[in-house]
Amino acid sequence: MLKKAREQEQTISILVNNQPGVLSRVGGVFGRHGYNIKSLCVAETTNPDVSRITLTSESDPDFTEKIKKQLDKLVDIINVSDVSGQSYIQRELMLIGVTVKEGAYAEILRAIELFGCRIVTMTPDYFILELTGQPDETAAFLKFFQSFGVEEINRTGSIAIERTKPQRRI
Amino acid sequence: METIGADIVIQVLREEGVDVIFGYPGANTLPIHDRLMNSEVRHYLMRHEQAAAHAADGYARATGKVGVCIATSGPGATNLVTGIATAFMDSTPMVALTAQVSTSLLGQDAFQETDIIGITLPITKHSYQVHDVNNLAATLRQAFELAKTGRPGPVLVDLPRDILSSKCPPAEENAAPALKTNYKTEEDREQLEMIAKTLNQSERPILIIGGGVKLSNAFRLVRELIEKAKIPFVTTMMGIGSVDSVNGYNLGLIGTHGNELANRMVHQCDFILAIGTRFSDRSTALIEEFAPLAKIAQLDIDPTSIGKSIKINLPYVGDIRDALTALLPLIDAKEKSDWLLRIQSERDAINGKVTDTGCGQAGDFIRMVQEAMPVETTVTADVGLNQIWTVRTWQARSPRSLITSGGMGTMGFSLPAAIGAKIGSPERAVVAITGDGGFYMNIQELATISYYNLPIKIVVINNGHLGMIRQIQDLFYNARFNTIELGSKVDFVAVARGFGIPGSRIAVDKYPKAGIEAMVKADGPYLLEAVVDPENYVYPIIPPGCSNIEMMYDRLD
Ligand SMILES: Cc1ncc(C[n+]2csc(CCOP(=O)(O)OP(=O)(O)O)c2C)c(N)n1
Repeated sequence: MLKKAREQEQTISILVNNQPGVLSRVGGVFGRHGYNIKSLCVAETTNPDVSRITLTSESDPDFTEKIKKQLDKLVDIINVSDVSGQSYIQRELMLIGVTVKEGAYAEILRAIELFGCRIVTMTPDYFILELTGQPDETAAFLKFFQSFGVEEINRTGSIAIERTKPQRRI
Repeated sequence: METIGADIVIQVLREEGVDVIFGYPGANTLPIHDRLMNSEVRHYLMRHEQAAAHAADGYARATGKVGVCIATSGPGATNLVTGIATAFMDSTPMVALTAQVSTSLLGQDAFQETDIIGITLPITKHSYQVHDVNNLAATLRQAFELAKTGRPGPVLVDLPRDILSSKCPPAEENAAPALKTNYKTEEDREQLEMIAKTLNQSERPILIIGGGVKLSNAFRLVRELIEKAKIPFVTTMMGIGSVDSVNGYNLGLIGTHGNELANRMVHQCDFILAIGTRFSDRSTALIEEFAPLAKIAQLDIDPTSIGKSIKINLPYVGDIRDALTALLPLIDAKEKSDWLLRIQSERDAINGKVTDTGCGQAGDFIRMVQEAMPVETTVTADVGLNQIWTVRTWQARSPRSLITSGGMGTMGFSLPAAIGAKIGSPERAVVAITGDGGFYMNIQELATISYYNLPIKIVVINNGHLGMIRQIQDLFYNARFNTIELGSKVDFVAVARGFGIPGSRIAVDKYPKAGIEAMVKADGPYLLEAVVDPENYVYPIIPPGCSNIEMMYDRLD
């Protein structure tokens, strides 16, 4: 059941028991329902027994609601929440490799300054740039540099954190 | 003897009240099979692991207890798969124990190593692989707890051989870790009041009874509701028998192979209270046209079953028994209504229009079998025409008396399920009804029945074809019959005799009584082969893609 209506980017945060096999259980729920994961990030939380999976997808919100209920049934899942909203801060880390042609130097260096990104390493004709930002910033960054020739991209996908002190401890 | 992991397994089985398991050994199960010798747990040796899973399933459905099956690693474990999936689809509480290669060999493609956890991921409620003998008891307890709580289902525990044979202290009591309790919902009083109010105000209400009523043991409450509100009911295939089928408020089975009255009245009703059903496609047919005039309230313990396929106006997540207990006092006692009169006149009209049950001579024959058997009989139905004939003609007089694979539609289920049902409820007579196609699929279980001398009555309805598929080819593929003929060369009576089971053959249209009587009189198992015309189909049926009221009465419709 691939839903196409009213698709928008959703970010879901899932707290899970930090155990082997849990990711395949979570992935199975998405796969079985034909729900495409756009990005996925997994890391330990303040409690080493608990991991947080943050994932984004483009989907219909009703469909996401159904998936959340399905996930909630998994024994190893502690909590599922939608972190797309205003009360969460979202960030993504992106690395891109850009070809630098003669004559483009000045423009590129200026863009680097404007975007507030970092040159990780460089050769005369190839820069690796690093940017951390909100999803719309990383998107604009990528779009801009594509006009110069982006050879490679790697990105973490969104991670998110509550703006205020969390109500409960993990 | 020193305590080893296998003893812990048996200790927990005993704690959980398990006295019977169904299984098949292999080198890796041997620590358990060895220690079973000194235990009170009886192990039934089936002739195939698939049958062990179906027997555990049949046992669970007949008794309401958790069914347990055990198989060895590799092929033993993979043979369980169809049985586990069948239990999963019908929410049977079940614990499947699989042996595994030793932990030191895991991931090395060792002899008879298979990733059974991975294979069964989508068809189990949960699964565990035990890596430390000190966690064994807690894991097993948790497996039982999970299998039977919330929406029940199969839980698999994979047991590496070294864990089973390693020495350990006896399991401490109460070493079960706290389970995630996502099923325990608080009573939503307001929503129950809304449901009651809508029901009280409705003019044409209907109750849909699903399998959840059996799983939650809510029979008495549902009956009280029916009698108090004078509310007619229909059932899904899994709900049959939850309330005595001969109850006057019963309109029958809904869905693609359901009763005309049930489907028609659901189409006309203005309110549905659905209890423990997920509105599967078999029940609703064309979803867009299902119950177009009705507001729908749904009670279910599984939040994902609510509104899965259809919009629900009044959802309620919770245990059915708790919900009904709270709901009953809020429901107005009603007198006979215009709605019931309308139903009666529809019923008369349908009875006048069609002369038989729509199941032809096969249906009449099944009715004769039931009449000849004691009232306290459990029937298992296989899959195909024989299933539909059975569920439409057998009067299920008590909740656990009709057992069949609904969600999965697994051919070959009825014979091993009957073994489990008989062992679980030895005081009841058990009849296994099957088509010839489904019979072949677990025919080896005749050996189990014969070995343990289980007095199961086996009725093979032989039409020489995969009857249900034949009907589909006949009606929807221009009668281009292909790959459905099983032929008539096999002598089932001789086959049964070869397994040590007496039997006889009759034709359903020529004095079937004699054969039925011989079967009923037999002390032990008996096989009755009932020959039926391959054109004995089921009518009416709902053609694919049609709504529940677009019924087809014969091939000319
Ligand atoms: C294991 C399995 N394989 C295939 C099917 C598809 N199928 C459904 S009904 C049916 C025909 C069953 O034939 P038979 O057992 O002879 O029963 P009948 O319909 O003739 O009563 C088949 C092949 C199934 N349900 N289960």
